[in-house]
Amino acid sequence: MNVDVQLALLLWGTLVGLDLVSVPQIMIARPLVAGAGAGLILGDLQTGLRLGVLFELFQLDILPVGAARYPEYGPATVAAVSAGHLFVGPLSLGVGAVVGLFVGMVGGMAIHAMRRRTARAIQRAAPKLEAGDAPALIRVHVGGIVRDGLRAAVVTATGLALAWAARIVLAGALTSRGAGLLAAAAVGAGIAAGTAGALRLTGHGPNLRWFAVGLTGGAIAAWLR
Amino acid sequence: MRRRLGTALLRLFTVQGSWNYERLMGVGAGVAEESLLRDLPGGPTGTAYHSAVARGARYFNAHPYLAGLAVGATARAEHEGAPPEQIERLRTALCGPLGSVGDRLVWAGWLPFTAGLAVAGVALGLGWPAVLGFLFVYNAGHVALRYWALRQGWLRGLKVAGALQAPWLQWAGRLAGPAMALGTGVCLPLAAVWLAGAFEPWARIALAAFAAAGLLLLRALPGHVSGLRLGLGLVAVALVAGWVWP
Repeated sequence: MNVDVQLALLLWGTLVGLDLVSVPQIMIARPLVAGAGAGLILGDLQTGLRLGVLFELFQLDILPVGAARYPEYGPATVAAVSAGHLFVGPLSLGVGAVVGLFVGMVGGMAIHAMRRRTARAIQRAAPKLEAGDAPALIRVHVGGIVRDGLRAAVVTATGLALAWAARIVLAGALTSRGAGLLAAAAVGAGIAAGTAGALRLTGHGPNLRWFAVGLTGGAIAAWLR
Repeated sequence: MRRRLGTALLRLFTVQGSWNYERLMGVGAGVAEESLLRDLPGGPTGTAYHSAVARGARYFNAHPYLAGLAVGATARAEHEGAPPEQIERLRTALCGPLGSVGDRLVWAGWLPFTAGLAVAGVALGLGWPAVLGFLFVYNAGHVALRYWALRQGWLRGLKVAGALQAPWLQWAGRLAGPAMALGTGVCLPLAAVWLAGAFEPWARIALAAFAAAGLLLLRALPGHVSGLRLGLGLVAVALVAGWVWP
């Protein structure tokens, strides 16, 4: 385990986690981008892209509106790529998916806990905020961003530790048939989640026709390839 | 004022930094608005400034990319000396429309459309240029929308509602749905085939069975089964099955 690489992954995962909600929402938090970045850091872009695409399918199931609670797949994808690299084929996808899904759940819970803490910090500062104290306002806001950065770093570090453990435990325990089944389950779940999410966004109106056109076009392109 | 608007725009990129269940993005909006309030009569030590900063940090929610519309409009209203109750009513009234327009346009339109095309590009073998292309194209729209929102809010003040009737916004709103449907539709089969590329034939059959069962569950029990729960459940089943099936 190269410490420099792990530190680079930790930094990347933290930036990715910050981007999801806090700063600057330029979508490096999207699994495809997070995975490609992690793949580049590890010198294994192909695994990064594969796991990025897999978690992008899960991401399609999420609509981040209002106060909705949802899993966080950015740092999860970074951890997944760390778990899956150096393996080939289905084992890479399977091991990465196990780690990524678990870290995605942990990330979502951490966001919820952080928002409650931020609310408490705002309650404490309420008299100053109501008095229009600008330095207090900025302090509370920056505190929220710092809290999110720390949260993202902890989630990523947890994910990287899990990735390290999963590589040892799962790689030794899984037969090639077991690895194939695990990857099939992960990809099957991703396709189901992506399709359900897309159908939810599409609804029953005229957009459904465009979705059918897209599916047909995609299927033809996949067949021709 | 140009510099102040620039500061407000930069701060708007952090508008959700202190998002919480109490004031939602109110504090972030207040921070963005603060830079536009420093020229109020009396300056940063005056009563008008403090009252406006306090109002700006109260409960507020909107789509983050369109929050600038409210920030600019309320700051302009403060400069024009509008009554505090009217400014608060404006903020409250903007929450719903800015949320629904932004969600429809970005979260349920532009983002899944561009992400879907990026996934399709990767699956077709374009590699990292597809990812870079996504970041560039998506953020061209993202940054333009944030800039437009703040500028319109500042220019229109209390009459900001008219900005939401802009022809380009109506047109983009009409296009967002079909584009999203097309983009996500294209990416799904391509991603499935690409990810299953290294699978043995029996594993592809298992994948199809998992996907069909999963979709059925997600459609039949939408409140109980999410993509994450389905994923965790299926990989747990597969781990156990793989362990007992050497």
